[in-house]
Amino acid sequence: MEHLLPIGLNHYLTISAFLLGFGLFAVMTRKNAIVILMGVELILNAANINFLAFSKYNGGMGGVMFSLFVIVIAAAEAAIALAIVINIFKIFKSVDVSSVDTMKE
Amino acid sequence: MHSLIQLSIVVLLLPLLSFVILIFFNRRLPRRGDFVGVGILGTAFALSAYIFWSVIVQTYDPAFRVAWDFTWIDLGKVPGIGPLQIRMGIVIDNLTAIMLAMVTLISLLVHLYSTGYMAGDKNYGRYFAFLGIFTFSMLGIVLSDNLFSIYIFWELVGLSSYLLIGFFFEKESAADAQKKAFLANRVGDIGMWLGILILYSQFHTFSFSEIYANLAAGKFAMSNAWLTAAGLLLFMGCVGKSAQFPLHVWLPDAMEGPTPVSALIHAATMVAAGVYFVARIFVLLTPDALHVIAFIGAFTAFMAATIAITQNDIKRVLAYSTVSQLGYMVLGLGVGAYSAALFHLVTHAFFKACLFLGSGAIIHAMHHEQDMRWMGGLRKHMPWTFATFTLATLALAGLPLTSGFMSKDAILAGAIGFANAEGGGIYYLIPVLGFFSAMLTAFYMGRQIWLVFFGESRTHLKPADDHHSAHHAHGAEDGHHTAHEVHEVSWNMRAPLVILAALSVFFVYSPNPLDGAQGWFMKMIKTPETVVAKYKVESIEHSALSTQHSALQTEHSAHSPADPRQAEIAHEAHLAHFPAIYISSIMVVLGISLAGIVFVFKIIDPDKTAEAIRPLYLFSLNKWYWDEIYEATFIRGSVLLSKILSWFDTNIIDGIVNGVALVVKNVAFANNSFDKYVVDGLVNFTAFSVNTTGAVLRKLQTGKVQTYIVMLLAVVFGYFVFYFTRLIY
Repeated sequence: MEHLLPIGLNHYLTISAFLLGFGLFAVMTRKNAIVILMGVELILNAANINFLAFSKYNGGMGGVMFSLFVIVIAAAEAAIALAIVINIFKIFKSVDVSSVDTMKE
Repeated sequence: MHSLIQLSIVVLLLPLLSFVILIFFNRRLPRRGDFVGVGILGTAFALSAYIFWSVIVQTYDPAFRVAWDFTWIDLGKVPGIGPLQIRMGIVIDNLTAIMLAMVTLISLLVHLYSTGYMAGDKNYGRYFAFLGIFTFSMLGIVLSDNLFSIYIFWELVGLSSYLLIGFFFEKESAADAQKKAFLANRVGDIGMWLGILILYSQFHTFSFSEIYANLAAGKFAMSNAWLTAAGLLLFMGCVGKSAQFPLHVWLPDAMEGPTPVSALIHAATMVAAGVYFVARIFVLLTPDALHVIAFIGAFTAFMAATIAITQNDIKRVLAYSTVSQLGYMVLGLGVGAYSAALFHLVTHAFFKACLFLGSGAIIHAMHHEQDMRWMGGLRKHMPWTFATFTLATLALAGLPLTSGFMSKDAILAGAIGFANAEGGGIYYLIPVLGFFSAMLTAFYMGRQIWLVFFGESRTHLKPADDHHSAHHAHGAEDGHHTAHEVHEVSWNMRAPLVILAALSVFFVYSPNPLDGAQGWFMKMIKTPETVVAKYKVESIEHSALSTQHSALQTEHSAHSPADPRQAEIAHEAHLAHFPAIYISSIMVVLGISLAGIVFVFKIIDPDKTAEAIRPLYLFSLNKWYWDEIYEATFIRGSVLLSKILSWFDTNIIDGIVNGVALVVKNVAFANNSFDKYVVDGLVNFTAFSVNTTGAVLRKLQTGKVQTYIVMLLAVVFGYFVFYFTRLIY
C-alpha cells in the first residue's frame, strides 16, 4: 500500500469539484424541480467539503463552524424551496421548470 | 362772432338738416316729406334775405367784409411740412350776401316747382334729400374763406350733381351721363388741387386773405410763371365745374337729370360755382393767366352758341346756351370785367332757371316729349309759361329793358376795353367772338320760341316708332300719359316761373335800363385790386399811358382800382360802353330778324339751307364732334394704355411672380426631399437599429431560470478567464 499516496487536500478539493460539477449539471439540465433542488444540495455539500478540508489543513475551527451554518441554512432552504415547488405545482399543475416561463419577454 | 356769421351758419346747416331728415325718414313722413324740404329752404331763404338786406341795403358799403374762422384740424408739427393746421371759416362780403340770397331763392323755387314736376315719382323723397345736400354744398362754397374748405364743398357739389344727374338711374343714358359728368369734373378738380398745393407750398396757409396778403407783400418765392401756373390750375377747377372748353362735354349730357335739377344745378348755381371761384381767386391771377381765361371763355361762348343752333332737344338748346353764357362770364373775368361777369352770373341764374323751369313745364305738359320738332302752338294752351319763357328768352338774347342786356353789355364793353388796352391785334378776337355769339344766341332762342310756342301742333307728325320709344324711355317719370291734351301747369310750378321772370327785368338791378353800372349790383361789387406784385414793376409803360386818362378816371370811376393795368381796362371799358350797346343791340336785332326770316316768314327754307351747307350743319349738329374726338383720343387712348398695362401685368409682372414662385417651389421640393430622406432617414434608422437590437436581445429573455443560470455561469467564467489572464501576463 506504499505506492498509494496519502489522502491530501487535493483529493478533497477534487471530490468537491466533482460534486459541484454534478450539482451544476443537475441544476442546468434537469426539468424536474425536485431534481434541481437535489442538485442545489449537491452544490452546497461541495462547499461544505471545501470548508471542512481547508479547516482540517489550516487547523482552525472556522470552517467546521461555517459548514454547520451551511447545513442549517440548507435545511431551511430545502423547506422554502419545497414550499415554492408546491406553489408552482398548484399554479402550473406541473413541476417541470421548462413550463415555468412567464418571465419571458 | 358777428351776428351775420351766426345767421349764415344756420343758413348753411339748414339744407343739411333737410338732407338728413329726408334721406332717413322720407318714407315715414306724409307726402314723403316734401314739405320738410320746402319749409327748410323757405326758412333758409328768409334768413339769407335778412343777411342780404342788412349787408346790401342797410350797410351799402362796397368794402363790407366780416370773417370768422376756427381751427378745424390741428396736426401739430408734421415732418417735412412744419406746423399743419387746417382752419375752417366763413367770410361774408357783398358777393357772398348776393350769392346766398340767389342760391337759396332758386333752390326754394326749384323745391316748390319739384313738388309738382316730380309728383308720383317712386324716389320722390330721396329727390328732395339730394336737393338738400346740393344746396348745403353750394352754400358751403359760397361761404368758405379758404381754399381747403372750398375744395371740400366743391367735391360735395360734384357728388350731389352726380347723384341728381343719375336720378333716373334705370335709364342707361342717365347712368352714362352721371359718370361722364363726374369724370370730366375730376379732371378739372385735379388741376384745382395742384393749384391749391402750389399756393400752400409757398405760404403754408389755405386762407384767401392770408394768401393775398403774402402775395401782395411779394413773398411768392418762385418765378412768375409758377404763379401763372397756379392760377391756371385753379382755373381748371372752373373749367370742369363751369363746363368750359375743353371739359364742356358733360353739361349737355347732364340734361338726363330731372328738369328742375337742370334748372338748379346745371344752369343757375353749380355751374356758376366755377365762375364764383375764379372771382374769389381773381386777385392772384397774373395777366398771362387772365389772357388764357379770356380766350377760353370767348371760344366756349362761340362754340356752344354755334352748336345750340341746330339742336332739336329743347333742353339741349338750353344746355348749350348755358355753356355759351358761362363762356361769357369767364370771358368777362378774363378781360378784367369782374363786376360785369358776376352781374351776368346773377342775372343769368334767374333767367336761365326760368327758362329751364319753363321747358320743364312744357315737357311736363307734353307728356315727356322733348323734341322741339314735334311741339308747336303751345302759346294758346300755356299762356303763363309762354309769357315767362318769352321774357326770360328776351333777357337771354340780351334785348334792352332786360337784366341780361345790362350784364352782357357790361361784359362786352369790358371785352372791347380790354382789347383796346392790350393794344388790339389778336385781342380783338375776344369782343368779336362775343358779339357774334350774341347774334347766334338771339337766333337760336328765336328759333326755339317759334318752334315751341307758335305755329300749329306737330305732335301727329312724329314717326310712330320714335314716339313709342320716347314714351317708353320716360315711362319711369311719367304716370299719366294717356291724356293727350296739353294743359297749363299747376300753381306750384307756375309761381316760380313768374318770380324768376320778374327778376329778369332791368329795374330790379338798375334804375337805368341801358347802364347796369348805375345799379346797386355794380356799385356793391367792385373789381378788387390785383395782388400780383411783380406785374406792377413790369407795367410801368402802361402806367405812363394811363396818366393821360387820370382826369377821366377820377371823373368816371371813383372806385376804380389803383393798379394801372386794371385802371386802364376799366377806363377803356367805360369808353366802350355806348359802342357796345349799339353793336350788341344791332347783333341781337340781326339774330332775331334772321330767326324771323327763316322760321316765321320762311323766306329762307331752313332744311334747304342745311342741305346747302351740309358739312357745316353736320359739324354743328354733332357738337363739333368733340365727343367723337374724345372717344378717339382719350377714351381709346385710355383703353389702349390699359391694354398695354394689362399685357405688361400678365406677361412681365406675372412672369416675375411666377418665376419667383417656381424658384421657391423648387427650393421647397429640395428641402422636402432633404427632410424626407436625410432627416427622416436618420430618425427612422435610429428607430430601426433600436428595434433590431431589441429583437435580438429579446431572444435571450427566455423566462427560464436555467438559461439565466447558464448565462450567469458563462459570465462568471468569462470574468475569471479575463481576470486571471491579466494576472498571468
